[in-house]
Amino acid sequence: MRHLLTAALCLLTLPATAGTRAVVQDHALPRVAGFAQAAQALDAAAAQDCRADTLRPAYQATFDAWMGLSHLGLGPLEEDGRALTIAFWPDSRGLVGRTVQRLRAEEDAAVDRPERFAEVSIAGRGLFALERLLYEPDNDGNGEYTCRLAQAIAGDLSRLAQEIETAWRTDFADQLLNAGAEGNSRFLTAREASQALYTALVTGLEFTADQRLGRPMGRFDAPRPQVAEARRSGRPLRNVILSLEALRDLALALADQPIPETEAAFATALQTARALDDPLLAGVADPSGRLRVEVLKNRIEETRAAAAREIGTALGVSVGFNATDGD
Amino acid sequence: MPSRRAFLAGLVAATGTPRLSWADAGDPAYLAAARAPSGGHALFGLGAEGQDIFRIPLPDRGHAAAAHPTAPEAVAFARRPGRFALVIDCLVGREIRRLDAPEGRHFYGHGAFLAGGDILATSENEIETGAGMIGLWSRADGYARIGEYRSGGIGPHEIKALPGNVLAIANGGIRTHPDQGRDKLNLATMRPNLSYLSARGEMLEQVELPPELWRNSIRHLAVAPDGQVAFAMQWQGAPEDGVPLLGLHRRGAAPVLAEAGLAEQMAMQGYAGSIAFSAEGAQVGITSPRGGRLHVFDTQGQFLAVHHRADICGLAAGARGFLATDGLGGVLQGDAARLSPLTRADRAWDNHLVRIG
Repeated sequence: MRHLLTAALCLLTLPATAGTRAVVQDHALPRVAGFAQAAQALDAAAAQDCRADTLRPAYQATFDAWMGLSHLGLGPLEEDGRALTIAFWPDSRGLVGRTVQRLRAEEDAAVDRPERFAEVSIAGRGLFALERLLYEPDNDGNGEYTCRLAQAIAGDLSRLAQEIETAWRTDFADQLLNAGAEGNSRFLTAREASQALYTALVTGLEFTADQRLGRPMGRFDAPRPQVAEARRSGRPLRNVILSLEALRDLALALADQPIPETEAAFATALQTARALDDPLLAGVADPSGRLRVEVLKNRIEETRAAAAREIGTALGVSVGFNATDGD
Repeated sequence: MPSRRAFLAGLVAATGTPRLSWADAGDPAYLAAARAPSGGHALFGLGAEGQDIFRIPLPDRGHAAAAHPTAPEAVAFARRPGRFALVIDCLVGREIRRLDAPEGRHFYGHGAFLAGGDILATSENEIETGAGMIGLWSRADGYARIGEYRSGGIGPHEIKALPGNVLAIANGGIRTHPDQGRDKLNLATMRPNLSYLSARGEMLEQVELPPELWRNSIRHLAVAPDGQVAFAMQWQGAPEDGVPLLGLHRRGAAPVLAEAGLAEQMAMQGYAGSIAFSAEGAQVGITSPRGGRLHVFDTQGQFLAVHHRADICGLAAGARGFLATDGLGGVLQGDAARLSPLTRADRAWDNHLVRIG
């Protein structure tokens, strides 16, 4: 009887898996802190000198740091639209260009007040709005306003990055690690926490394959290299590689046992990506280049399948029952 | 010689057992289908606080159920394109009738009782033409097929009974053919609508969206105590387009489309899975399992709140506010102010939570 009782209580208070702890401590927390530092450095750099060519290195470093956590689309990133505000992509309706253009044309004074700029359309904020300013310099003699806009975007990014870091450190990490605790309506069991992190892994792999590669690939008879992610700042392939590296780190942290098949699949995908030697993924425009990008896409899909077999099965989780079906 | 049990079961089916009520089946407040960890599927009766009342095995994955208004009887629909539906006696916990879609038809996964529960209406596809149909079945005659009429569009999905035996029909606009599974055959030309039909099939009113939203499939419905109809949509364009997914309608008026801010709207992934009015009728909610979100609006269409919960989909009016179910086995209660768990079990709740009565 006592054994039964103990077993029942254990079920109620089952601690987080080693994998969940590893993801929180070794993966998520260092990465959100790194992004906050990078965004703060960008903000400081913009305050000092907002010219495009001097700001570009800090911009690139901030984008690199963002790629280290953009796949963690649960918790602080999904609240208050933060992830979309930081990275408004894909932008199938061309909202970033239009919003930046409008801000400049109207010389919207929201840029001078952080709390008002936080109310500006998310398409006119974040990394992709700033990319327009730094890599598509205007020649309309509007440099002074552009400078204030760049400073406003950098300050807004830094604020968002700080909010994410604080929310992870002071709240969301505890929620992941204390599933089922009183007041934790986010995760009712340790398995739900595992499932949320596993979903982030699978969703991240799918996003890189289907969006970062699939969007510019377009249809065979209608490739669309011009819609590649962060094309203006020269980052399409870099983002693919950085996202794969971040997702490999997540997979290794999340798994509670060796994952040789997944590791091998990541290695092959990364090797394929690095060998592409096509920073803008511009090769999708011709059949042989497109084929090489398609091979990379297949490698990423194989990585997802391997992760499902090795990690999903071992954790006893899969991606959403309803999210993947629907009607 | 038939066994006593079979004899009784036959009698039950033949007479429709008017004296039995949902109270005899343990007074469930909701029906919901779920998948067990073993992979088996079942229909559950749930109490007002989300607790299990009964569990009845299903042969395959369910989609939605229609609850008889008074008798403890449920019609469980398979996922589309299903060729059959099961009438389940929730008292003895087993199938008492199997409704086969007529030749050349299949079910779309939803149904509703009319005429105080005497008639079951089902949403169907006329496969050859793609015309949406409403099939009618007489409960008193052992659920014999007694008629059908056109739904007023293509791809009717959820249907709801309104006072006066009026049917509200979500004609999703998407043509499918069972030979091609769930492939959508007419996305370029689709044109969904919300139709109100009389019990005889006369079109009383039809509501359409503006042309730029014709790819927004109207699929699920909720009816407020005062007759306001809310409809939930599924966008067939890019998931990040951020189009409205909730519409509100009163008979004779233009529909009101409701949306949250851009980031929240985009986070719904162009997909609303279920819709319900709150118990008090003052709030309307839509769920997106793909976005892991419940969005709550007021009945004027003003956005009130977002709540996060992975794979949330089923939604119905609660004892107060809303009751919601998710693919992780959770049953949650909430309103605009909060969303908190009531129960959880090792099972995956399927798309819909159906309130009884």
